Amino acid sequence: MEKKSIWKKITGSREASLVIVLVLLCILVTIKNPAFLTVQNFMEILKNNAVIMIMALGMLCVLLTGGIDISITSTLALAGMTVGMLYKYNVIESTLLGFVIAIAIGTLCGLIIGLIIAKGKVIPIIATMGFMYIYRGLAYLVAQDQWAGADALGRFKDFALESYLGFGVLNNVIVITILCYIVFFILMKWTKFGRNIYAVGSNEEAAQISGINVSNVKIAVYTIMGALAGLCGALATSIYASAQPNMQTSKEMDVIAACVIGGVSMKGGRGSVICALLGALVLSVIGKALPLVGIDAIAQNTIKGVIIIVVIVLNVLTQRMMDKANLAKREI
Amino acid sequence: MAGKSGRTLAAVPERSLKKMLVSWEGMLFLLFIAVNIFCKCISPVYTFTNVLREMPKYLTEIFLLFPMAYILLMGEIDISVGSIVCLSATMSCIVSNAGMPFPIVLLAGLMTGTVCGMVNGLLTVKFRELPTMIITLGTQIIFRGIAEIVLGSGGTISLTNMDGFRKIAGKIGPFPYLFFLVILCAVIFTVIADKKVFGRRLYAIGSNERTAFYSGIKVNRMLFTSYTVLGLLAGLSAIFLTSATYGANTTTGKGFEMDAIAMAVFGGISTAGGKGKLLGGVISAFVIICLRVGLGQINMNPQVILIILGALLILAVLLPNITQHINQKRKKASKA
Repeated sequence: MEKKSIWKKITGSREASLVIVLVLLCILVTIKNPAFLTVQNFMEILKNNAVIMIMALGMLCVLLTGGIDISITSTLALAGMTVGMLYKYNVIESTLLGFVIAIAIGTLCGLIIGLIIAKGKVIPIIATMGFMYIYRGLAYLVAQDQWAGADALGRFKDFALESYLGFGVLNNVIVITILCYIVFFILMKWTKFGRNIYAVGSNEEAAQISGINVSNVKIAVYTIMGALAGLCGALATSIYASAQPNMQTSKEMDVIAACVIGGVSMKGGRGSVICALLGALVLSVIGKALPLVGIDAIAQNTIKGVIIIVVIVLNVLTQRMMDKANLAKREI
Repeated sequence: MAGKSGRTLAAVPERSLKKMLVSWEGMLFLLFIAVNIFCKCISPVYTFTNVLREMPKYLTEIFLLFPMAYILLMGEIDISVGSIVCLSATMSCIVSNAGMPFPIVLLAGLMTGTVCGMVNGLLTVKFRELPTMIITLGTQIIFRGIAEIVLGSGGTISLTNMDGFRKIAGKIGPFPYLFFLVILCAVIFTVIADKKVFGRRLYAIGSNERTAFYSGIKVNRMLFTSYTVLGLLAGLSAIFLTSATYGANTTTGKGFEMDAIAMAVFGGISTAGGKGKLLGGVISAFVIICLRVGLGQINMNPQVILIILGALLILAVLLPNITQHINQKRKKASKA
């Protein structure tokens, strides 16, 4: 095999083109408003979008198997709301216990979804749509027309303000985000389980025949997604210092969009942790940059939508061009 | 072929009473009767006229069901309809407040919907590699975003001239006009899906798009038409919604797409394409409406109703799968 030149590698990989887009975006915004390019600002972006960024990891796994999960923010609300109520009525005090409970609830929610999809053979979008209603409804039932405010949360809300996990330099939330990314990078790249996910997504039947337990992989994927959503429930409660049953409604679409912008295929089998990271970063930077360059708050959603469409259409066009170039090469 | 449940292109309909009752549509009809008896038992005010009076706010969503079913039958999806409803309602309110005569208001609402549908259709057809889920996710944000821009910082608009809208919200006896229109649409769309070439082509595309393409079906044209019709009916839905709420805001029509998809799936229409009947979707829509009205009348927490609907949705897909699984096991056992 001939070695590809560096230039080919850069233009050929989607990750590289996304990095270029990201850098260009940052430069453009900085020219317009120098306040953008500060460490503090970037920390803020990371902290405020930690929920989307972490859930994008779980969504990556789900999309890789060819599935989808639109129930995640309902799981998030259920976990966050439960923890918030526990603090409100002083059932628990410790911050760690709050996280453990939230993750446990999320894991259970995800496990149920996984079982329904893998064992009951229900199409992912329908199963998760049903659970989107169920978990959101349960969150409202847990809340009982109440909500947990900053005073009710006590020490728990300080978690998002302090930085003892990051040795006083990095905010706790950012440390958790980075940890998640490191764990998933290793998991997806160098473990058997990670490769099994890719195998299932690329060709389910082939994976089954080659001895991979497809239904177990699927259950695991949705359970992981649930666990991450639970974690994000605790994080969101802490970051925004409030737990409400309608928290993060319809943000699941942002998570899916982040993955797709990053180049994760919705048909399964294609995408990486880097893809998810870059997609989530592009979406986060856009969200932060639009007000800084003086675009009205009411126009932001439109621009966000247009950018999503433009990015995915560009993806398709480059893919077509690459395919054409490959074909032309073969003919010679 | 996708057909195991006997609801595909190849299946020849058999007409015996037993078959009809055992089919998914027959079960749904029994469920419809059961739900009505159940509601009658739990709620003393669950009468015919009362149900009809409360129905319009739910009926508007049924318009979306028919074209959505077509799109699902082809194995595609559209999650932007809620936003199209929002934008159409906004536009018709604005045109109405500008003092235009009512036909123009109607036209504005319908045209807005149609154009939005065409945009979806065009993007789908031009970029077939992209899943429609992600295309309509983008347009979902854009259409509602445009409505947000048009509505400005307040985010709401109220009708100043309600004459025309009052007229279309009228009734014949206890039945609102809307009811007849829904029934008319139901008949038209069901006949097209079951008896006409267009409908049979929908099933062909849903079962196997490539085969359908090579057998001469213009897949792109079918997709474009379906998305455009969905936009048109979203506009119609928006106008009736406006006539019930006398205005629009940025959250108008939120969640309509999910409701429409849920009705279709509960009616036995598979999101994987090629399976299901429109009749099932229509019956399931009325099951859901009656359940909502009945449970609403006894002041049940709306969130609990949500949980019930979610559970019903999953069961609707889960139960046939389980029975099929058991049947297969039994067959294997008898063979052995």
